[in-house]
Amino acid sequence: MASTGIKTAPASIVSVYQMRMASIWRRHRSLGLTIMSLILGFAGWQLLSTFVFSPFLVPPPVRVIRTAIPMLLSGEILHDVLISLSRVFVGFITGSIAAILLGVILGRISTLHDLVDPIIELLRYLSPTAMIPIAVIWFGIGEMSKYFLIFWGTFFIMLVNTIAGVLRTPIARQRAAQCLGASQLEIFAYIVVPSAVPYIVTGMRVAMASAFMSIIPAEILAADSGIGYLLQNSSMLLQTDRIFVALLTISVLGFLCDRALRLIVDLTLTRFTLPA
Amino acid sequence: MLQLSGVCKTYGPESGGYVALRDIDVAIADGEFFCLLGPSGCGKSTLLNIMAGFEPASVGSATFDNDPIVGAGRDRMMFFQDAGSALLPWLTVEENMRFALRVRRIPKTSWPDVIDKYLTAVDLAQHRDKFPSQLSGGMRQRLQIARALAVEPKVLLMDEPFAALDALTRRRMHATLLDIWQNTGKTIVFVTHDIGEALILADTIAVMSVGPESKIMQLFRLDLPRPRDLADSELRKTAANIEALLAPEIDRSEARIA
Repeated sequence: MASTGIKTAPASIVSVYQMRMASIWRRHRSLGLTIMSLILGFAGWQLLSTFVFSPFLVPPPVRVIRTAIPMLLSGEILHDVLISLSRVFVGFITGSIAAILLGVILGRISTLHDLVDPIIELLRYLSPTAMIPIAVIWFGIGEMSKYFLIFWGTFFIMLVNTIAGVLRTPIARQRAAQCLGASQLEIFAYIVVPSAVPYIVTGMRVAMASAFMSIIPAEILAADSGIGYLLQNSSMLLQTDRIFVALLTISVLGFLCDRALRLIVDLTLTRFTLPA
Repeated sequence: MLQLSGVCKTYGPESGGYVALRDIDVAIADGEFFCLLGPSGCGKSTLLNIMAGFEPASVGSATFDNDPIVGAGRDRMMFFQDAGSALLPWLTVEENMRFALRVRRIPKTSWPDVIDKYLTAVDLAQHRDKFPSQLSGGMRQRLQIARALAVEPKVLLMDEPFAALDALTRRRMHATLLDIWQNTGKTIVFVTHDIGEALILADTIAVMSVGPESKIMQLFRLDLPRPRDLADSELRKTAANIEALLAPEIDRSEARIA
């Protein structure tokens, strides 16, 4: 009896240990995989740039980080980041507000919608990049041209999404409100606009990504500051490690902004995204 | 009294368009439980929409208490099959009730009492802080009933309200609805394609023919006490009569597809 007790004790310790590891893994599975994915990515990058490509063309991550640290400490990156961010935000916020206001009106007034829609359908194929040359002539290379380009990109994405959201308000919801005694204005404010919120939120996430993709070419071609300008400047000086620092910054910044947007939406608009 | 005389409904051009309804005459008395029964595509929802005022009749007149029906009226409350889209999913149970009272301009001081009264009547008082998505299908329909009753309409227009519920829940909803009808004396116009449902609920069953040019083929009056049992001999006889009436209609609609 005693001997079996001694034999089972280590086995049960092992199994307790295994169970604990398994439960830790279950709880933190996605975080663990994310960390592993990043480690693998950086390791692959390091190997490729050491053994396959020239380290000049593809600077290894260790060197990129070594280049990044003084740029971070001196505030150089922060300066460019803040400038680019402020351009993105001004264009994004004004573009969103204008598009939501116009979108809810067009979604409700079908004659006006049918009148304006062909113009929208043509204009929305003009990407912000396509508008850079004319924007420079209209607004110069100051802040206004960048605000305009981000506004342009945001506006059409948000407009199309807002109109879709308004048009898809369930007819039963509007008719029920009508029977309850709601006026047209009340139906618009209490039924139609809240029903469109999920579409508007989706539009904001797409538009945010588009804004980050538009700001870079705008700054490369027409700016003397910002992350895009850092890219352009480093390219002319053949500083590939600085280019990689800028590229890395753009990725991280876009990711963080999307997460921030989702957090804000979760904190303020969750109830409007509940299923029907 | 809800009255339709000589109502026709045509979609598309006046001549050559699709004639959905032809020469509909009905008179529904105050406090009557009136069922519109027919197979899919017989225009019963169209007829209900005309009574609600959502769609005008192409020909003929629709009146409620001798006033012509023009647009949705506060005395006729429509009740939808898809409670999820009829309710406001971003508002809690109680907030959905408040929404109804706000747009109906009911004084705020009476809100708590009205909300308590009707949520209790449909057995939802303890769920007042939940969102519709957290409720079962039957509970959502009960919330729709409570919300409709809170604004005290004279008529409830119900478009296959329980068709999406499972059989057990549907039976309980029938009992709830009959309770409410007997306690409040509302007029109810109830659209269904389920003969059993119509027999359990209605004072009058109007059997409709398949479209195009749907009309009311026959009215069945049921003067039996409730709760009713479908095994009852008179109900079984009526069921057989209705089925005999509808069978050629369904054949006709299937023949048109082939």
